[in-house]
Amino acid sequence: MNTPESAPPDTELRSWLRARVAHYAQLDAAAIDTTVTLTTYGLDSVYALILCGDIEDHLGLALEPTVAWDHPTIDALARYLEETLAQASPSGESR
Amino acid sequence: MTDRTTASVADLERRFGDPWDPGNPTGHAAVLAADEAGEMLTAGERLLDDYGLNAEFVPPDLGGRLTRLDHLIEVLRVVFRHDPCLGLGYGASSLIPAVNVWTAGDERQRRRMADVLLAGGRAVSGYHELAHGNDFARAEFSALPGDDGRLRLNGRKEVIANAERAEAMVLFARTSAAPGSRSHSQLYVEKADLPAGAPVHLPRFHSAGMRGVQLGGLEFRDCPVPADAVLGAPGLGVETALRSFQITRTALPAMTAGILETGLEVTARFAEERVLYGRSLAQMPYIRSILADAFTDLLICDCLATVTARAVHLLPGETSLYASAAKYFVATLLMDAMDALSRVLGAQFYLRDGGYGIFQKHLRDLAPAGFGHAARVACLSTVLPQLPRLARKGWLDDTQPPTGVFQIDADLPPLPFGRLSVGSGGRDALSASLSAALGSPELDGELRRLVLVIAAEQADVRRECAALTPADLSVAARPEALRLAARYAAVLAATACVNVWLHNQERHDAFLGDPHWAVAALGRIAERVGRDPGQRSRHLTERLASEVLARHRDRRGFGLSNRRLP
Repeated sequence: MNTPESAPPDTELRSWLRARVAHYAQLDAAAIDTTVTLTTYGLDSVYALILCGDIEDHLGLALEPTVAWDHPTIDALARYLEETLAQASPSGESR
Repeated sequence: MTDRTTASVADLERRFGDPWDPGNPTGHAAVLAADEAGEMLTAGERLLDDYGLNAEFVPPDLGGRLTRLDHLIEVLRVVFRHDPCLGLGYGASSLIPAVNVWTAGDERQRRRMADVLLAGGRAVSGYHELAHGNDFARAEFSALPGDDGRLRLNGRKEVIANAERAEAMVLFARTSAAPGSRSHSQLYVEKADLPAGAPVHLPRFHSAGMRGVQLGGLEFRDCPVPADAVLGAPGLGVETALRSFQITRTALPAMTAGILETGLEVTARFAEERVLYGRSLAQMPYIRSILADAFTDLLICDCLATVTARAVHLLPGETSLYASAAKYFVATLLMDAMDALSRVLGAQFYLRDGGYGIFQKHLRDLAPAGFGHAARVACLSTVLPQLPRLARKGWLDDTQPPTGVFQIDADLPPLPFGRLSVGSGGRDALSASLSAALGSPELDGELRRLVLVIAAEQADVRRECAALTPADLSVAARPEALRLAARYAAVLAATACVNVWLHNQERHDAFLGDPHWAVAALGRIAERVGRDPGQRSRHLTERLASEVLARHRDRRGFGLSNRRLP
């Protein structure tokens, strides 16, 4: 895959996010650049909220619904989620 | 209603006096004269000054009376019943910016907004730019840092009630050039703090309804404001609006129901006074059925609005769904019901003078309920993207809402401004309460049959929402997709009606405790979503029409609260 130099290699989470973004953008997953903002693909604030819901269901996490507004690229989002997952303990914050 | 609400509402009603008294300075004749002149009713503004209406918009910790949303709605509904121009121009227009300050402002900003309002001042919100409509994330109005660290306002805001008269304003502005949803902020600005000559006031806009409300515009050119004018942190403008608007999207249409109350009163009066073919209109089955239907629609609006208002207190994490659904559905029902009533009045609804002239004014004044603050389609677009996840998950969860959400007189915790959220997190407890109602032993006969009809609709909505495609979740959604959001709102309204009936049996209101109105309500909603409600008994229509005429004769309100009028 032709990944820009700055992007870290695809983890499972990163490829899952890439696939979700591709789904909403109605593009091929290979066409999604993980370093650019979701708005590049026409995914506005509404899609960012939908994506957050998908992530919550996928990872079993409770997130701020605006998480993809604050971390607007796949890379930034993946980084944030990996940190959150690392910090989450069984007795940690949940709904 | 709590005792305090009852007392404030009665006090306000007494001040307005008998609207039919031609000599009353705040009666229908005076309201109509102000409308003809395109001016606010001065005597009405004075009355609301004396009553201290602005305190209703200010939280108690800042010295006001904004403790409960249902209380606020009941009070403002009185104002809308008498004169919608006062409701909007004295009420809603200050409430909208104020709520944004309560939600996101710091202590100083909250204090200053409270001081302006409690001193009888006005606040306005500058969100709207004509070129961008409800697409306010495209707003071009900017507040970018100047060399001296202060922000510079540039751009114009249009169609703002009281633009010229307000002391304080909340402005929605782009504060970053970056794309995305963190590039806008709201600013709290007092006119007294602006340089001389700023802002420039645009010429007044003239409107078909709400003619007394002075709609203006504001233009700023390199106007400096302190950097700490921003509400909350920079970049929170969209989020703050989406959270705060849950309160106003809930409250505004609910208050506006006062217009339909007056519509019903005028029509009932006309029907009793007018004699055709040797009998009064009120005796004709066709006329009675229109009265019964409009009354039923008002009760549906009240149930949905009351439950939504209570949900803001009790389920703040979920109200992003309910508030927009309620705004859409209540506004639609109110407009359709007034339209239906206008057919009873015939030529009298078209005449601007004469004994029934107030009807045409209220009808014109109602129109902004359809597009003002948030257009109905914009409300559906807020609901729609949340539905697929609910269909996958949330609607399979049977978690019930607290019963207090349906109990009209039950206590409520303080308004949780900080806990409103831009998304429901995939939860929807209100919808789960439809199937719970079916399990209730009190639910039988005709009402049970209709709840099953609504439950079938709910199941269809769920199935169709699960099949929505990504393209259908955006503003490019197909009409059928948007219609799903409308159907969701209809099911929510029916759910509110049946649960309000179930959970208020101890309320010593014989009418409310009887299932007839709920049967009529669910039948109307089923029809609206294209389901066969089955044969409706003539007895039911008769009963509701008689109730309308009885309340008219006894001087009682037509809403859920069934309160006595002075």
